Amino acid sequence: MSAVVDFPVKPQARPYLDAYDRLPSGEPEWLGAHRRRALARFAEKGFPDRRSEAWRYIDLRALEEQPMLPVGRIGDAVDAAVRKRFVEAAFSEAAYRLVLVDGRYAAELSRVDGLPSGVWLGGTATTIAERPDLVRAAFEAPHINAERPFTALNAAFFGDGFVLDMAPGVALDRPIEIVHLASMGTGASLHTRSFVTAGPGSRALILETFAGAGRYWRNDVVELQLAAGAEFRRVVLVEESADAFHIGELLAVLGPAARLASLVLLLAGRTVRHEATIRSDGAQTQCDLQGAFVLSGRQEANIVSTVDHAAPGGETREVFKGVAAERAHGAFQGRITVRPGAQKVDAHQLSQNLVLSPRAAIDTKPELEIYADDVKCSHGAAVGDLDEAALFYLRTRGIAHEEARRMLIAAFVREVIDRVGSAPLREHLLARLARRLAMLEK
Amino acid sequence: MLEIRNLRARLADGREILRGIDLSVNAGEVHAIMGPNGSGKSTLAAVLAGREGYEVSAGTVTYLDRDLLAMPADERAREGLFLAFQYPVELPGVNNMYFLRAAINAQRRHRGEPELDAGQFLRAVRAKLKLLDIGEDLLQRAVNVGFSGGEKKRNEIFQMAMLEPRLAILDETDSGLDIDALRVVARGVNEQRAPDRAIVMITHYQRLLGYVEPDHVHVLQDGQIVESGDKDLAVELERRGYGAVGDAA
Repeated sequence: MSAVVDFPVKPQARPYLDAYDRLPSGEPEWLGAHRRRALARFAEKGFPDRRSEAWRYIDLRALEEQPMLPVGRIGDAVDAAVRKRFVEAAFSEAAYRLVLVDGRYAAELSRVDGLPSGVWLGGTATTIAERPDLVRAAFEAPHINAERPFTALNAAFFGDGFVLDMAPGVALDRPIEIVHLASMGTGASLHTRSFVTAGPGSRALILETFAGAGRYWRNDVVELQLAAGAEFRRVVLVEESADAFHIGELLAVLGPAARLASLVLLLAGRTVRHEATIRSDGAQTQCDLQGAFVLSGRQEANIVSTVDHAAPGGETREVFKGVAAERAHGAFQGRITVRPGAQKVDAHQLSQNLVLSPRAAIDTKPELEIYADDVKCSHGAAVGDLDEAALFYLRTRGIAHEEARRMLIAAFVREVIDRVGSAPLREHLLARLARRLAMLEK
Repeated sequence: MLEIRNLRARLADGREILRGIDLSVNAGEVHAIMGPNGSGKSTLAAVLAGREGYEVSAGTVTYLDRDLLAMPADERAREGLFLAFQYPVELPGVNNMYFLRAAINAQRRHRGEPELDAGQFLRAVRAKLKLLDIGEDLLQRAVNVGFSGGEKKRNEIFQMAMLEPRLAILDETDSGLDIDALRVVARGVNEQRAPDRAIVMITHYQRLLGYVEPDHVHVLQDGQIVESGDKDLAVELERRGYGAVGDAA
């Protein structure tokens, strides 16, 4: 340990502090200063405490007991195994694609040429070097959640990510795909940080796929700024390795009449958590949040969402589906806040869950915090097993019991996929779901 | 084809609903089983189709020389038994076409036949849709979700037409149908009468039998068949009511 620190350090944070000292530098000074501040925050806070409400449903002990330290750049070569995994994971109909291998931009697998003018799509490291103006503001005025331990750790250690910047009025109707591949499996942590800035009236659709092999910890943060009237649709597909930890975070700020549609599908990974924190700053925003997890074995997943309506007239629709088999454990926590003066907000939240075996469990915790008097807000939550009458009906048509179960589980989950507007993307997601369900044991 | 001998069945709470049923159905025949509410008609259909929740306490059911009661529900269907539901179940999120193709292919696999691809399947579907006066849009919707009562019943008979069962049990298929829908459904059933197929219609009223003429009519009361006859028995029942049958028995 070489660094002289003048702040308190939690014991679990110590190895990460030491790892920071070993990383090579060469970045701009403003970024270095930002990283050091973030590292200090992480050191003070340590890992999230299970006693804190936002983390109570997920077990991080395995992460705490054995540090999973970040590693520097390994090399540029894309080997055959990575290429194979890339082909398995990729969405063939993507118009543009940016691939990150072990948290670093892989030019060889990416296809970012031919973008319309007014659009920047590049790796975060490249962007910092070539267009620092696109990201510097986000670092220097972190808009939300800079205090969260893993967000801070991410700020200290991220090596790359992607940056999408759209000029006013630009429309990208064909999907952009971001593929995150993990190949080392050596128990390292991969910190990626990405930035999306959608100018007024711009429009885009993005698919972020996460896949990998072996043991690793992915810590991904995406910051999203939607200007007035911008429309951004985001699909996250988590298909991490069976030994992987995945912590994903979306931080979004919505300007007036901005529209955000988000779909999160958590299909594989040992412990997976996705948290979306959305601040609706402008009036008349539309926020459409959907998600699902499909769990078996001893998998754990947690979908957390917070929508903060700070301005009047916003609309939020949330539908989340949970499926847990064997000894899996899932949880959904969704909070919708309506601040004083945010009148005419219309917000609905639904959490529906299937628990397929006696040892599986799903927790669901909806929260509405309403401080305005002229609003329409509701929530509903249900946890149950498959409908016996529906199962019998399928079986009387000759469909075997297991196939009938899979059909009903797919039908249950696909409601959130059916709302994806792009038909090829919808088919891609349904195929990934079918593949996952084929592996689901009772 | 179907031999039921002294079949007794009860609910989980111990209430005996079927109290010794005897019935023989041969290939090519159409049977009507009539009876008042609560006589056990739907329970008989459910037990034959393999619904859980009933305990068979005595008797045997032989179907195509096999012990029907030993087969799980899906195997019975793959062996050619079809049940048209009195209340067809809604399956949100399950596309009607996808569902039907899965069912047909499950049965074809069972018989060692190649599965139908999308094109072959679609051609087969179009031929049968006309018969039941069903629009193609119905097939793109989730199974029975948002269907009218008549659409649900027609969809049941359409499934029967697609699956081409050896033995079809129609449970109150006529209930809730207006006269036009009843005609369409009856036409669909009549089209499917065949020398190698048997049809058992369970009904409360005689009116379906005016359109689908049965070879045999049975009266079920208090879990037993109390009277059997030809199609004229149905007409007579309509006139004198079930009460008189009970008195006669």
